[in-house]
Parts: sequence; C-alpha cells; structure tokens
Amino acid sequence: MAKLTRERKNKTVYRVVGESQAQGLIFNRSASGNGPSCVVDDRVLRNFGSCSYMGLERHPALLAGAAAALESYGSQFSFSRAYLDSPLYQGLEEALEQITGRATLVAPSTTLAHLAALPVLVSDDDVVLIDQFAHASLHMATDLLKGTIVERIRHNRMDLLEERINAYSKPGRRIWYLCDGVYSMLGDFADFAALRELLGRYPQLHVYADDAHAVSWTGKHGRGAALSHLGDSERVVVALSLNKAFSAAGGALALPSPGALTQIRRCGGPMLFSGPIQPPMLGAAVASAQLHLDGVFSSLQAELEERMTAAEDALARLNVPVATADRTPIFMVQFESLRAAQRAVRELRQRDYYCCLSTFPAVPMDKPSLRFTVSRHNSVAEITDFVAQLADVIAVRGDTQASAYAS
Amino acid sequence: MERQNAPGDRDQLDAVIKALYEVISFDEGGEPDWERMRTLFSPHARITRVTPEGTDYLDVAGFQDLAKEIIDLGTYTRFFEIEVLRDERRFGGLAHVLSAYETRQSRSAREPFARGVNSLQLIREQGEWKVLSLFWDEERTDNPLALPALFDRGEVRWPS
Repeated sequence: MAKLTRERKNKTVYRVVGESQAQGLIFNRSASGNGPSCVVDDRVLRNFGSCSYMGLERHPALLAGAAAALESYGSQFSFSRAYLDSPLYQGLEEALEQITGRATLVAPSTTLAHLAALPVLVSDDDVVLIDQFAHASLHMATDLLKGTIVERIRHNRMDLLEERINAYSKPGRRIWYLCDGVYSMLGDFADFAALRELLGRYPQLHVYADDAHAVSWTGKHGRGAALSHLGDSERVVVALSLNKAFSAAGGALALPSPGALTQIRRCGGPMLFSGPIQPPMLGAAVASAQLHLDGVFSSLQAELEERMTAAEDALARLNVPVATADRTPIFMVQFESLRAAQRAVRELRQRDYYCCLSTFPAVPMDKPSLRFTVSRHNSVAEITDFVAQLADVIAVRGDTQASAYAS
Repeated sequence: MERQNAPGDRDQLDAVIKALYEVISFDEGGEPDWERMRTLFSPHARITRVTPEGTDYLDVAGFQDLAKEIIDLGTYTRFFEIEVLRDERRFGGLAHVLSAYETRQSRSAREPFARGVNSLQLIREQGEWKVLSLFWDEERTDNPLALPALFDRGEVRWPS
C-alpha cells in the first residue's frame, strides 16, 4: 500500500512553508512586545494577528504578579513537579478550579497537557476519533497511543462521528472524540449541541476538547466554550491554555474527577519528567486567575464582544466573505490560491496592518487564507478601518485577482 | 504518424479524458469517484506522480490509497481539475495525449492554485479506450508552463 512517508511529508511542508517565508510573510521578527501595534521590518503595524484576545499582558495586576514572583522566587524553580512544587502552583490550581468548576491540573503547556493526559486516559482497546482540523498538538498526542485505533473524522461532521461510534462500539470499549472547542484557524466552534446529544445517547462516548483559543474571552470566569457547553458531563475532559487570552504561560486540564487528576499527575509522562512553569509566569498566571474570578471580569469580556460585533458588522456591510458565522475573535478569509492570499497579506502590511497568512500545513492546500483576530487592544474605529482596507484589498481590481470567497 | 479519425472513436477517447478529470474532482466534504475511476484504467495501468519531493510509481489501487490518505489528513478538502489544452496522437490501438490542466478549489473559482501537464497513454482494449499510463508534473517557478507553445508540434485541441 502506498503511504506518505514522514520524510515526504516533511519535504512538502519545508517547500510550502519556505515559499511564504521567502515572501517575507511568515517567520517575521517583531521589534516590539504585543499590544495595539507591532513593529515588523521597521514598520509600525496595527496588530490584527495576536491570540491575546483579552489583551491582558500589560494589565497592572499581571505585571505586579510576575514582578513579585520574580522577586520572591527568582527566575526559575528547577525541579520536576514530581519532586518539588513551586509554592505558586497550589494557588494557581485552586483558582483555576474555581474558574473551571472542576479538578484542574496545570501543565507546562497545552501540548504537554495532551501528551500527559491522552496516553493515561485512553486504554489500549479504546478507539480515538479525531476531527481532521483539531489542533496539531492533539494529532501529535495520538501518535503516543500505540495499539489504539485512531481515525480522523471530517471537520465537525457529527453524522460521520455517529456512524463511526456505531461501527466501533462493543461492550466495555470507550470511544473518544478529540476536537477543539474553538478551531484556531477557521475560528469556528465544535458542534457542542450535537456532541451533547451524542453524549446523551452513547454512554461509551467520551470527549476530549482542546479549548485553548476559547479560554478567558468566553464563559463564566472565562472558563471557555467547551466547559460552558459540556462541563457538566463526567465524560468530558477539557484542555485549556494559560498562554493566549489568559496572558500568562502554561496549560491546564479540567478533569471530571480528582481521581483522573491523580492518575495523570502520577502517570502522565510530561507531568513527571518535564520542567515546570517558572515563577515569574506562575505569578502572572495567579494574578490573571484572580482577575478572572473578580466580579468585573465579565465587563472586560463585554469589551471584546463589542469589538467582535464591530468586526462582524463591517465584514457584513462590505461583503467580505469569512469562513464561519460562529462568533469568535478569529476571522478567516479564504482565497482561491496561495498567491492571492499572499498578495492580500502583503498589501495590508503596506497599509500598516499586521494579519496572518495561513497556509498548508496549518490549513488544507485548497484553503490558503488570511487570518485576522480582534482583541481588546484594537479600537472599534481601528477594526472598522481594518475591515475597510481588507475589503479594498480583496476587491477585484485590474490584475489583482483577489479571489476571496465564502465557504 | 497515421492519424485515425474514425467516427465515434475520437469521441470515445475524448469521453475517457473528460471522465478522468471528472472522477478526480470533488466538492467540499466529498471524495473522488473511486469506482468510476477504476473503470477508466486498464488492469495493467500505472500511475506516476511526480512532485518536487519525489516520485511515486503506483498502480490504480496504490494511487487510490495514497489519495485517500491525503484526503484523510486534510491536505485537500475539495479538488477540481479541468483540462485547458490537449495534444493528441493516435495510431491503431494506441494513443498518446498531453493534457494541460488547471487545479481549482471549486467549479466557480476564478483562479487556479496549480497547473501542470498530464501525460497519458491509452490503449484500446476490447473496443474501448482505457488509460494505460497516467503521469504528470506540476508547474513550478523552475518549471514554468507556457501554453500553447508547449504543444507547438502537436495537434493542439482546445477542449470544448
């Protein structure tokens, strides 16, 4: 049977990524921190590319938390958590348990959380069904599940998921569905309503959701989308990021029981063998968690909502097609060719706007895209102006065949 | 080289080429028409896929396995290929066809995201033209595709 070897896949990725790198559109170096603008190639660009949706990285509480932790505990605490925990971990995990309403285990990153959790949670005889557009780190983690059947499911196709559940069901076997809460490229949600319904009908179904891109900006105390929709199910595990809108570092697992937490803590490879989050970032994480729990956090979420609405309104008014109607701070405009997507991103940079080019392998070969995000750093006026510039750039003008289209 | 223009024969060969482009094209969420694809090839057919990363020497089943893996990985979620120019030579029960193509994301897409040339050998088996070899290479910066100069010595046909 013909198979794509790892070497062939790597060579293809190397070539395709290299083409966009040669254009100067990816692998850029910033000359500034994250915020309303970024400095790329000596140009100050208004920032529509960050995953810091809540824009908390310069919040006084987080800066003070990081500074105090640095002062108290130094730049690092070099122990595996299996031996000795930094004093800041307990406060962080307790605060996260209040946010998530669940037993919560902090991991050095969301990727390492997957690598720790999945080989512990999934038994040899279980079956794993994974959305084809689930985050690369989830696909990577399935490589550790030697001996377990792992099958990809077309994106958000709940009909195919149900078909495969039925095909693989047998007594005692659990079937895991791995998905993202919010898909980082398309910006759409998992089909939570359908998943809830399937969880109700199939007791063998378990869901593991990577909700990295939904943390903070949505849900009570910023618990994200997956916990908001499925958090009451004992058959749902949610991985969170403390790196994106949370504005700190690391990842976390919101688990259905303290027993599952202990199992992953004791057996999950990276929980035993990887280094911890270092004190300054733990200090920032504790401060961010406390901010999430304070009564006014919902007003910060409302500020982002206002900006998302402004973007949606402008896109609709100017007929700019985006990949999904789901309401998230991630917007994707797909193009008919990589060249067209590159032209659009390049032209926006010339107009002093930073947004991201999304190409294979982040998206399929047939979906080269311009991906932009909105954050609390962007004013409503800036968002409206950005969308107007985007609409102008993708309009068909002479030899510029922009070719943006709606899915 | 003798050219045969028997009525119906040319139409049948043309239909095979057109069908080949139809069966490999699919809309979002779909997949190629694997069964119909098989019917277009001789049981002895070879499919040779040239990419900058290497060459795959396949039979039809091997090609289908590879294509299924590529779709399963999410590398392509839809695919639409059309013929834009053809050079066709026939003699008795054999035909050589160079068929320039454009790959687009959908039927309505205005801009191709890839172009290239399919090289086909067809054989008449039991009165029907079947593909004996399908072999293609893509346009790249270092492999530009200039149409119709590519076929300046052949019988160039613009697909109807």
